[in-house]
Amino acid sequence: MLPTRNLLGIEGMNPLEIRSLLDRGDQFADAMQQSGDDLSPLSDVLRGKTIINLFYENSTRTRVSFELAAKRLGGAVLNIAVAGSSVKKGETLLDTATTLNAMHPHILVVRHNCSGAARLLSHQVDAAVINAGDGRHEHPTQALLDALTIRRRVGHIEGLKIAICGDVANSRVARSNIHLLGTLGAEVRLVSPATLLPTGIEQMGVSIATNLQEGICDADIVMMLRLQTERMAGTETPSQREYYNLFGLDRSKLMRAAPNALIMHPGPMNRGVEIDSAMADDAQKSLIRTQVEMGVAARMACLEAMAVNLASETEKRGNGS
Amino acid sequence: MTDILFTNVRLIDPSQNLDASGQLAITDGIISAVGAGTADSNSAKADKVIDCRGACIAPGLVDMRVQTADPGSEHLEDLATLLAAAAAGGITGLGCLPNTQPVIDNAAMVDSLGLRASRATGPRLHIYGAATKGLAGKEMAELGLMAEAGAVAFTNATTSIGDTLVMRRLLTYANMLDKPVIQHCEDSSLAANGEMNESETSTRLGLIGIPAIAEAVIVERDIQLMRLTGARYHVAHLSTRAGIDAVRRAKADGLPITADTAPPYFLLNEIAVSTYDTAFKLSPPLRSEDDRQAVIKAIADGTIDAIASDHVPVDGDAKAQPFGPAQPGASGLDTLLALTMTLVQQDQISLLRAFEALSLAPATILEVTGGTLLPGAAADIVVFRPNSGWLVHGADFKSLSRITPFEGQPVQGLVDATYVNGVCVFNRHT
Repeated sequence: MLPTRNLLGIEGMNPLEIRSLLDRGDQFADAMQQSGDDLSPLSDVLRGKTIINLFYENSTRTRVSFELAAKRLGGAVLNIAVAGSSVKKGETLLDTATTLNAMHPHILVVRHNCSGAARLLSHQVDAAVINAGDGRHEHPTQALLDALTIRRRVGHIEGLKIAICGDVANSRVARSNIHLLGTLGAEVRLVSPATLLPTGIEQMGVSIATNLQEGICDADIVMMLRLQTERMAGTETPSQREYYNLFGLDRSKLMRAAPNALIMHPGPMNRGVEIDSAMADDAQKSLIRTQVEMGVAARMACLEAMAVNLASETEKRGNGS
Repeated sequence: MTDILFTNVRLIDPSQNLDASGQLAITDGIISAVGAGTADSNSAKADKVIDCRGACIAPGLVDMRVQTADPGSEHLEDLATLLAAAAAGGITGLGCLPNTQPVIDNAAMVDSLGLRASRATGPRLHIYGAATKGLAGKEMAELGLMAEAGAVAFTNATTSIGDTLVMRRLLTYANMLDKPVIQHCEDSSLAANGEMNESETSTRLGLIGIPAIAEAVIVERDIQLMRLTGARYHVAHLSTRAGIDAVRRAKADGLPITADTAPPYFLLNEIAVSTYDTAFKLSPPLRSEDDRQAVIKAIADGTIDAIASDHVPVDGDAKAQPFGPAQPGASGLDTLLALTMTLVQQDQISLLRAFEALSLAPATILEVTGGTLLPGAAADIVVFRPNSGWLVHGADFKSLSRITPFEGQPVQGLVDATYVNGVCVFNRHT
């Protein structure tokens, strides 16, 4: 299904590969909706396999989402919050990797605050590596779940006008979504204060606006990004008040978007900072809860793809090739 | 009586604009004769005759930007490995930065390191004194006492002096001592937390960018201070078009400004960082292709006077990290000559210009021995074969620091032997 043994980023994936993951995610989402409260495994593709969640940054939703996804595929999951353990004892990323490798996990799900960390790790371990967010670089499963959410609600991605708004400079979610949505034929616009637009981003096939009303004009999807509060204290932007006034999404600004425009947010939200609180909860307009739900389905698709590749590797080894 | 006579030599001497076959004689550590001629007439009078079979002899390299980890981190590089690596690289003199532990910011430190180096058989060690106490960039160090102890220049090593008033006073004071101030030009606030050159590539990789103009901002400021103080000033590892343009204009105005660069900046660009390989994490960072082209042109037209190794002792642990926290820098002594020869092979510069940049210019800027084959000069020479190829392998380096951005790369230009004061300090065949 995937030509690579790791999932390190969306950049470089072709539309077929992305669609195959989304199609599988779609099926898993259906299956989960049918099974309701019954959380027994939907597949045994990960049976006998160990999945380690190695998180160097705090995360609730991504970690839980991967854990649920792995369990519903019959896998055994270990959570390691490195933020609180070895890293404080001075152990390096690669030493931790070597240690974990000796335990022979099959899939390593990694989140790290440094760009490129998942890739570095993938060179050091035998397990397949899934990047669950590396610094400002990529967060591929978030982009996949976002795409799955859009596809299930709207039916397609090609041709949609999608505005990604907020702290683009520091967002791995933005980068993965730019790659994925662009590859699937959406028109991507970025809306951000000029101080939070990274150099040369327009060369990634997007258009740019520094005014929210203009940027979301006629947009079918308005995807808000989280802005860390410390960036609103006079460094990148002058104040939280000014940011909400200029770049926060509320009902009146949303009027400029397409009539049935939908709102997304990767979470966790700063209510009243980048997005109006009531609007975020409006099931008519907001896809934010669906995103969380689709997170499990999209990650099941990714884990399954890794497992299939691992199985074919084992088979090849068994054949002595 | 001649001690050594080299015959069948291609003589390369930028100080005489000489590129010709001939021979070279050393007597009592001094070049006693150089020029055309056959072996027969002189060989009878020499203790030792070495038939070079067409190899080149040039003034030994004077590498004006080297970091030593001794004293302080001898496990990364000690004086012995530093000098051995330099000798193997054809280097006969090297300027070492004061960012040791403790910092070389007083005469005793200059004395101590200078004494240890003078006891060793190897290239000459030229010591740069710290411009400010503890390299903190705030208070002027004892420049006068360090100069008396033998410091040849002053620098804040790997950081710019950010405070304009401190820089003004440094230039004024160093000018009184007639010593150059060497600046790593990078505005510290623009470069804060920076991981690579700022560009589409840094955006794509999610790495924090250092804008190219962080260099020019400091160069331009310091040029204004030169106008005010009349001091000599040297830009270390110049790497951007904007910085080069500033230096070029200042030179045209007749200011006593000089500059060096290092092989990564004319052979590599920022695209090399795309795989997050930390061997490519350098300071200043690898720049754009346009900057690289500007560096090559500036070497050719003399805007950049010198080429230095920019040798930084870094061990594997400091590089076996994600790109952000990895330490910048790479080993450079072993490869300086061969990498510079790339420009000659590509017809960007002549062999004479290469040795002007590697030897004559840095010797002139630092006012130290070297840079010439004129009779009467100290016999600091390198014997090398410009077309002999080899593969760069850090593991083969004489330096203890084995990380190089040129790992696995084929290069041409092989050092056969290096002589300092007529004494052989490196011989490939013994």
